[in-house]
Amino acid sequence: MKKILVYLLPYKKKLICAAFFTAVATVCDLMLPTLMSDIVDNGIYNSDINYIKKYCLYMLVVAVLGLVTVLIGRKYSAEVTSGFCCDLRRVVFAKVNTMTFSEMNELGTAALVTRSTHDTETLSWIASMLSSSIVSVPVLFIGGVFLSFRKDVLLSSIVLVLVPIVFVVVVFIGKRIEPLWRISDGYIDKQNGIMRERLRGIRVIRAFDNEDKEHNKIADATKVMAENIINANVSMGVIAPLAMLILNISVVLIVYAGSFRMEQGINAVSAGDIFAIIQYVSLVMNGMLTVAFAIIMAPHAKVAADRIAQVINAEGIDDKIPEEDIAFSGDIVFDHATFKYEGASKPAVNDITMHIKAGQKIAIIGGTGSGKSTLVSLMLCFRMPTEGAVYYDGRATTTLSHKTVRQNISCVLQNSSIYSGTIKDNILMGKPDATDDEINEAAYIAELSSFVDGLENGYDHELNQAGKNLSGGQKQRLSIARAIIKNAPIYIFDDSFSALDFLTEANLRTKLAKKAEGRTQIVITQRVTSAMNSDVIFVMDNGHLVDSGKHEELLSRCKIYKEIYASQTGGAEK
Amino acid sequence: MNETKRDGKRTMKAIARILREAKPIRGWLVLSCFLCLCLILCTVSAPKILGNLIQQLYDYWSGELVTDDLLGLILKGLIPLAIIYISLSLVRLANMYLLNNVVSRYFTCNIRIRISEKIKRLPISFIDNTPVGEILRRMTDDVSHMGTSIHSLIETLSTGFLQILVITILMFFENWQLALAVLVITPLSVFLSSAISQISEKYFHNMFTESGRLNSIVEETYTNYATTKAYNYEKTTIKRHEEINIKQRDAEIKATFISSAVRPCITFTNALAYIAVNLIGGWLILNRGVSVGTIVTIVLFAKQIAAPLEDIADAIGNLQRAVTSSERVFALLDREEEPECTGTFGEEEILGDVKFEHVDFSYDKEKPLIKDLNLDVKHGQNVAIVGPTGAGKTTIVNLLMRFYDPDSGKITIDGHDIGEISRNEVRNLFGMVLQDTWLFSGTVAENIAYGKPDATREEIVKACDEAYCDHFICTLPKGYDTVIGDDTTNISGGQKQLLTIARALLANHRLLILDEATSNVDTRTEILIQKAMDKLMKGKTCFVIAHRLSTIVDSDLILVINNGEIVETGRHEELLAKKGFYYQIYTSQYAI
Repeated sequence: MKKILVYLLPYKKKLICAAFFTAVATVCDLMLPTLMSDIVDNGIYNSDINYIKKYCLYMLVVAVLGLVTVLIGRKYSAEVTSGFCCDLRRVVFAKVNTMTFSEMNELGTAALVTRSTHDTETLSWIASMLSSSIVSVPVLFIGGVFLSFRKDVLLSSIVLVLVPIVFVVVVFIGKRIEPLWRISDGYIDKQNGIMRERLRGIRVIRAFDNEDKEHNKIADATKVMAENIINANVSMGVIAPLAMLILNISVVLIVYAGSFRMEQGINAVSAGDIFAIIQYVSLVMNGMLTVAFAIIMAPHAKVAADRIAQVINAEGIDDKIPEEDIAFSGDIVFDHATFKYEGASKPAVNDITMHIKAGQKIAIIGGTGSGKSTLVSLMLCFRMPTEGAVYYDGRATTTLSHKTVRQNISCVLQNSSIYSGTIKDNILMGKPDATDDEINEAAYIAELSSFVDGLENGYDHELNQAGKNLSGGQKQRLSIARAIIKNAPIYIFDDSFSALDFLTEANLRTKLAKKAEGRTQIVITQRVTSAMNSDVIFVMDNGHLVDSGKHEELLSRCKIYKEIYASQTGGAEK
Repeated sequence: MNETKRDGKRTMKAIARILREAKPIRGWLVLSCFLCLCLILCTVSAPKILGNLIQQLYDYWSGELVTDDLLGLILKGLIPLAIIYISLSLVRLANMYLLNNVVSRYFTCNIRIRISEKIKRLPISFIDNTPVGEILRRMTDDVSHMGTSIHSLIETLSTGFLQILVITILMFFENWQLALAVLVITPLSVFLSSAISQISEKYFHNMFTESGRLNSIVEETYTNYATTKAYNYEKTTIKRHEEINIKQRDAEIKATFISSAVRPCITFTNALAYIAVNLIGGWLILNRGVSVGTIVTIVLFAKQIAAPLEDIADAIGNLQRAVTSSERVFALLDREEEPECTGTFGEEEILGDVKFEHVDFSYDKEKPLIKDLNLDVKHGQNVAIVGPTGAGKTTIVNLLMRFYDPDSGKITIDGHDIGEISRNEVRNLFGMVLQDTWLFSGTVAENIAYGKPDATREEIVKACDEAYCDHFICTLPKGYDTVIGDDTTNISGGQKQLLTIARALLANHRLLILDEATSNVDTRTEILIQKAMDKLMKGKTCFVIAHRLSTIVDSDLILVINNGEIVETGRHEELLAKKGFYYQIYTSQYAI
């Protein structure tokens, strides 16, 4: 929590201004009933029309002053809370961008997204709720009590006792209701989950004629959901009438105590005083309700703040080696490289030794979980080998800046990453200063031209988030175009042709071979057809490099390769 | 002007429809209106009594009223006041309880169930073309908005308007000059607050747009983390994020500031009303002999007239939202359903001869897909459907299963036109194994028995054994009773596929539709899947979306599909000899 509050420091001055103006505004609010009671007690009692006029003028001045100061105060507090949250978002986002992959995995993408968006929003929401009441409520409470004490001690003690009662009652009920909301939200999610499942599986459901069964499941879930929503709503609905009841009871008590005082003949209490105190009570009570709600919400703020602090506290990457502007030849050596994920019992890749020579076309083949993609992570410095080393032109990756390494690699990773923006923006990521001709060439090689030509805006076609308006194949081809335009000394394609049909892949690879002549090309794949034409094929199984060689060699001696080949061709002869 | 008129008409139509749909709970709603009337009575009588009490205190204090028992006198008024206050809260509680229960239980819940019921009868094309999130939103958020609209309607109609009316009348009875002052000034605050809200709405809209953009940047950066790093793209991303971050901050400042101005403005106009009442009241007391109590009563009334006015402004906002929501919900409920077909295949056993006769079909009328397709598949034959990804291979499946119907021509099974036979009966003929494995959340055994709910455990185990999944099921923590679902991570994609094969084996249909797996399956599982599929296909009429050479080469008929069109048909050798598109695919895939 403290870690987060530090980010308020730059706003110290504005915060003080906000507090000051809010306090002034609150005092104005409090003065209105006093002035009113003065008008009744003095002006009307003495039939002094001038007094009335004068005090009405005072009231007007106070009301205007109250309006102006409260607006200034709100303006400042809006600037503080929004600025504070803007800073938090910036810090969190920048921090996540420097995280190591293991830190990233530990927290998880979804959790990080929540922290950068939802949690900061929660904080901002609660901060703005608090900022308007944190100053005004104490002023209201103290001022209200002070003013009513001035009027009458007995009457004011009613205020002093009843207001905290409302406060406690509301907080008490609120704390109880809170979990009910969470439960009811849970049931809404559940009902949504069943519905989602049904819509996704509609073909299977209809194929098996099970629509009635699925409908009944949803009907049942909906009924349970309704009960829970009622539960939460009803509990929530209790608060307002209850608070109102206590307020009204205190009014009754004040009138009663007031008349009691009056009858005692103590000439301290006037009718105007009683009326003024009634007004104070409702003012203070309203303020207290806001604080009570803020307190109910406070645990949320704490949770959100703690989660954000967890991100800010993350260590971040240690790419301390200065970036160099060098071009690799494309010679890569794995020297007994082993990588084990933290807490894993078995290494993901074990004792890998291989030599990829500059300009070679190589393929790494293996089933899921064989460790292929971990090799990519090691090459791109996403992970550092736990034992052994990876060398580029004889230099170990530990002596190179990550940026230098990545600058030398054109890669297409699994699950092609598409960014919102235009097609052009996405391609330009590979080479920000590329000309239109270069873009055209890259798209042509990536077999993307005919798709782009068919679009109304061509390369300026806007893509949705995560490229939701593209098919899997289009996404892959776009990612490939991005890699081609970068045209680095080393190409890595991690399962990048899986969504392309064989014909498209064949055309693409022919053109690519021409463009990338002399550059190292590494294809990671499960498909024998994608691998068979390579200079060297490395076969991975279970984290081990089991064999390497040309297609025919492997087919004649490598059992695993034969198995893969057989399974993909159905055992038929070619 | 015309637009507002149309808007008004739309709103009225939607409200009328909501009320019509609310028929089952009409009685309860009337009761709720009655409770609201009680509320108004309590609300308006309280200021009158309190005003009288203060008047008595004032008279006593100023010496006009002389009595020995002030307390007793006051108590006489105070006790009814307390009773009114208590009943006020009780009636409010009761009404809240009633409305919540009735609306949630008999209105929103029913509409949700009706939506679910409706989905049973909607054509697949609707579900294919509507994002899942869209349907879910209608079922949850939109229906809740409709529920809220019922609350709003009751509040505006009864509490709001009636209360304002009653208070206005009472104020005029009390003192017309003061009443007039209040009536002029108070609506000012409502007008002001609704104007400010409208402005702030615009800024909130901006704020939400920016925060949406910000969120998508965050999401895409985190999910594309590796690529961002690989392209040294962090700086650019951070810059993009910061640009929008600043925009969002500025929009947020404006939105929160303007919306936070609503309350102070109301307080201010209330103070104005206060001042006016005092000024006029003071003059009236001095010159016209009006009592202090009258002024107190009017001040309290003024407060009470402001509250419902604000509520009405809120409720109108809610109603607007409810109108849009209810239109979306009703659009779904009123959608055209699949026409009912009642024909049957009759008693005789179906062999599985499938014929396509002059079938035309398109998803989109402007882009004809299948034109005059003729096929003749004898029972026990094996049809392979091949073609590039996304070429429309599933269209044939859609037509066979009657997920879609041909635009013209007909498909027959054993001579029966399936267009005339009930969809369920047609679908019951087919077993189906799709690449996109779908399992529902439930136990393994329940999933296997999905097509045959009365299957015994022995039958289930036997099917799993034949589909080579008995072994891995036994390694699961609770064996056949392990709960799995669509997003299960403790079984792999390949294993899911095996489960769907077991499901099809158990159901044992005459005809089969298979989609061969291609990716994300490890080699060993893939071999098992193929063995299991071969077993499943034995002796059945099969339509296979084929990726394996052996399936293609051995099949009795190959349909080559490209761009949604069937470009070639024939046996393997015939097609190779043609040297057309099939030849191209085949050579690019298998020849070196």
